[in-house]
Amino acid sequence: MENFDDKDIATLLRLKRHEQPPPGYFDNFLHEFHRRQRAELLRQPVWRIALQRAQDYMFQLNVPALTSYPVAAAAILVCAAVLSLKVYQAPDAQTVATAVVQQPGAIAVSSPANAAWNLSSSPISARDIGSMPVRTSSDNMQTHRLATPPRYVLDSTPVSYEPASFRF
Amino acid sequence: MSPRRSDSSLRCRASRSFFASVAVLRVGVAVACVAIAPVLRAQAESASEISREVKEVFTRSAKAVVKIRATDEHGKLSGTGFFIDPAGTIYTAFSVGADADNFTVEMDGKEVPARQVLADRRSGLAMLKVDDTTTPCLPIGRSDGLEVATPVLTVGFPLDLPQTPSFGMIAGFDRKLLGRYFSTTHLRVNLPTQRGEAGAPLLNFKGEVVGVLVSSVDNGSACYALPINAAEKIHSDFVRFGEARHGWVGINVAEAAAPLEGSRAEFTDIMPGTPAADSGAKRGDILLQVGNTPVREPEDVLDASFFITAGDRVPITVLRGSQKLIFEVEAGFHPAAQRPPIIASPLSPQAMPLGLDRTP
Repeated sequence: MENFDDKDIATLLRLKRHEQPPPGYFDNFLHEFHRRQRAELLRQPVWRIALQRAQDYMFQLNVPALTSYPVAAAAILVCAAVLSLKVYQAPDAQTVATAVVQQPGAIAVSSPANAAWNLSSSPISARDIGSMPVRTSSDNMQTHRLATPPRYVLDSTPVSYEPASFRF
Repeated sequence: MSPRRSDSSLRCRASRSFFASVAVLRVGVAVACVAIAPVLRAQAESASEISREVKEVFTRSAKAVVKIRATDEHGKLSGTGFFIDPAGTIYTAFSVGADADNFTVEMDGKEVPARQVLADRRSGLAMLKVDDTTTPCLPIGRSDGLEVATPVLTVGFPLDLPQTPSFGMIAGFDRKLLGRYFSTTHLRVNLPTQRGEAGAPLLNFKGEVVGVLVSSVDNGSACYALPINAAEKIHSDFVRFGEARHGWVGINVAEAAAPLEGSRAEFTDIMPGTPAADSGAKRGDILLQVGNTPVREPEDVLDASFFITAGDRVPITVLRGSQKLIFEVEAGFHPAAQRPPIIASPLSPQAMPLGLDRTP
C-alpha cells in the first residue's frame, strides 16, 4: 500500500468503474444475501447465538442502568438458596424409584451385590433373600389394613394437674 | 572369706527370702478367699431370694391383671388394668379408661365386654366394670407407709406382648414435675416401663397394691404411680355418691416469713362466696392441720385438699397469735375438678350400697 499514491488510486477506481458484474447477478441478490447470512449464523455454536440474543434483549431493556452491586448480590443469594434447597431436600430415592419402575406392582429386595456396598441395620438374613420380589404391593396393603396395631397407652406425664397457686 | 564364697551365700539368702515372701503371699490370698466366700455366697442367696419373691408375687397377682382394649377417636388403644374386688371392678389409668368406648377385657384368653363407671382427670384414675361376680382380685395395701428404696414390682401388658413383670424401687414422692403441680403426691418409681402398661398395679412384696401406674418418666426408664390411698379416696367417693367429689374450702396459702409451731403455711386470702368465707378463718392465720393431714409447707395443702370430699365437714386447725383455733367448714366442690364427672354408664341405685343421693 505504501507504493500507491493518490494518483494510482484514482486510476484504479476509474478502471473499476467500468467493470460490470455478469448478467443476472442482481436478479437474486437479496435472496442470496439472506441465505448466506443465515448460513453464517448457523455456523456459530448454539450457546453463542443464545448469548447474543440475550445480550440484544438485555440492551433493549437498558440493563446496564439496572445492574448494580445490590442487584447482583441479591441474584447470587437467590441462586445459592435455590441450589442449597435442591441439594438438602432431594431424597436419595433414585434406586428405589428405579426398582419400582422396573418391577411395577412389586417390592424388590436389593440384590446381594448392591447389599455388599450398603451399610444396612437389617440383619444379613433379611438382606440376602435375593433379587426376586417377595411380596406384591396388593398383598402388603392388605396386611397393613388387617393388622393395624392399637395405640399402646402410657403417657409421658401424669394427667393430674393443679394450678400453681396453693389453695384448698 | 574368699569373694566367691561370699557371693554364693548372698545369692542363697536372697532366694530364701524370695520363696518366703511368695509363701506369705499365697497364705494371704487363701485367707482372703476363705473370708470373702461367705459374703459372695450371701449375696448370691440374697439375689436368689429377691428373684424368688418377685416370681412369687408375679405368679400370685397375674390372674387379676388384665389387658384392656378400647376404641377412641384416634382408633384402637390398648392398656392394662386390675381387679380390685370380686365384683369385677377394675382400676386403670385415666388415659386408658376415660375418653374411649367399646371396652373389652382379656381374661383367661377370652375377650369380655366392660363398661366405664368413672373417669377422674384430677387424680388420673379410671374405673371399669365387667359383669362377673367371681373375678380374681388384688389385695389393697397402703401407700402412706412407703419409703424411698422400698422394693416394688408391676405386672403389665407392654405392646402386644404377654404379661410381663418389672422390678424396681420407690425413688421419690413428687408433687410436681417440670414446674407442673400434681393434684396430690405421686410415687416416682425406678422401674422400667413400656407403652401399654398404663393402668398396671404397683405391688409391694406382700402382693398388695400400693399404686396405679399412670405415666412413664424419661422415655420409660422410670414411672409415676398414683398412690393407692388417693385411688381409694376416689373409689370411696364413687361408692358414696356415684362420682368423684373433690372438695375445697376456698383459702389461698403462701409461705410465711417465719415458721410457727412447725408450719410455714399462712392464709393470704379467704375467697368470698366460698365455704371458708364465713368460717371465721382470717388472713395471716398459720395453717397447722386440715382434717387428719398435718401441714408444714404451703405445698402440703395439695394433699390436704385432695383428700377433702365435697359435702363433708372438715376441721381446720390454725394458729392465730399464740392461740390455737379449730374451725369446722363444710367443703364445697373444687373448681379444678371436672363437674359433672365422666360417667358413661351410671350405676343403678341398687349398685350404690349407701343409697345416697348423687345430686350435690
